Amino acid sequence: MSPTAAKQAEQLRLDGNTYFNKGRFAAAIEAYTEAITLCPNVPIYWTNRALGHRKRNNWTKVEDDCRRAIQLDSNSVKAHYMLGLALLQKEEYAEGVKALEKALDLGRGANPKGYMVEEIWQALAKAKYMEWEHESTKRSWELQTLKEACETALKEKHLFDSSELEGFLDENHRSNLEQLEALDRVFRIAAEADIPTDVPDYLCCKITLDIFRDPVIAPSGLTYEREVLLDHLEKVTFDFNFACSNL
Amino acid sequence: MATLTSTRVVSLPQSKLILSNWTKVEDDCRRAIQLDSNSVKAHYMLGLALLQKEEYAEGVKALEKALDLGRGANPKGYMVEEIWQALAKAKYMEWEHESTKRSWELQTLKEACETALKEKHLFDSSELEGFLDENHRSNLEQLEALDRVFRIAAEADIPTDVPDYLCCKITLDIFRDPVIAPSGLTYEREVLLDHLEKVGKFDPITREPLCQSQLVPNLAIKEAVQAFLDEHGWAYKTD
Repeated sequence: MSPTAAKQAEQLRLDGNTYFNKGRFAAAIEAYTEAITLCPNVPIYWTNRALGHRKRNNWTKVEDDCRRAIQLDSNSVKAHYMLGLALLQKEEYAEGVKALEKALDLGRGANPKGYMVEEIWQALAKAKYMEWEHESTKRSWELQTLKEACETALKEKHLFDSSELEGFLDENHRSNLEQLEALDRVFRIAAEADIPTDVPDYLCCKITLDIFRDPVIAPSGLTYEREVLLDHLEKVTFDFNFACSNL
Repeated sequence: MATLTSTRVVSLPQSKLILSNWTKVEDDCRRAIQLDSNSVKAHYMLGLALLQKEEYAEGVKALEKALDLGRGANPKGYMVEEIWQALAKAKYMEWEHESTKRSWELQTLKEACETALKEKHLFDSSELEGFLDENHRSNLEQLEALDRVFRIAAEADIPTDVPDYLCCKITLDIFRDPVIAPSGLTYEREVLLDHLEKVGKFDPITREPLCQSQLVPNLAIKEAVQAFLDEHGWAYKTD
């Protein structure tokens, strides 16, 4: 590869970035494509183009470009991140979550406080939710089907047994009702883990009322969300100092 | 009068208690409580008497009252430890009694469902022709699925391991009074204090310098432990 080609490719990348920032994604993609043609082994050209494809919701191309970028640089945060998003679009939840986790891991290693880490974390949380939702819908349907089959079978058996019994009908009917109630309880327990309720108090911050992400404990023995507490301490200290300096 | 009654009951040596009439113990204790509602020993022995009658819920309540009063009077006294042990045992017995009932009820219901499903399957089979294999397979799948459902419903009652994050890394037991060190690791208070006194003033695992004043009660873990015990009474068992 001649130095001229490399220089040209770099210029094309900058051109592409300019187009991208102006919202001209098709033009940006074209510029990145030319850069890739000149220098196909530069991972950032592939991830930049993937970003362009993402803006146009062309997810198959996003996936292809990201996979190529990862081949060239297995530590590319952006490549794993967008690959994850692309897989989620295809409803490949497990694989998408894996890619996002990899992206988060790499991102935290590189720059823990960067905006990228927060963005990836949000995407990962959403992905895990979608994964759960998809699987729990299936589980719920299967449980419901089985429950109805049992109820039908028990009722039919009860009718059959009733016709054979004489004089014990009330008791038999009552015991059948109890049976169906007990069955209902069993299926409700089996379905419990999939039914959204409240997250237990001891897993939530008393300030945010949300489940903990990065809990820290104070000398009081109480646990708080780290960011929110640091924020609070900063503001309170500031107010105190300000008040003092104005006496 | 109160002192006389409670002293008579509480001055009985342990061996005599085993042989004595628990109904009498219960009566004496109730009388003592009427005269002095804060008597630790009276509530304690009332609790033991009720447990003898297998009145688990009431026995637990009496022991909890005794523990509460005992802690108020003398938190480090030997009585508090003794009551605590009795209470843990009582909660275990209560769980055991109820879970046995639950298991039996679940098993009975499961068998009723299996029988009903099999009979229905046989009946449906006799009506179908040529789809027997598929019908049979779907019946087997149904029974397997039913098995899984009943296993999940029975799970909370099946003793397994207490999750690691609820156990002290030194005692390997579920936490009773967890404290957290600056390292972020949580230990059983008594055991850690013992370690600091006898072994050295450092964190048992990270080995960073550590002294008693740096310890913070881990209230969140304490709450988590209680929530776990409420759901899984088998974890009250102390070896």
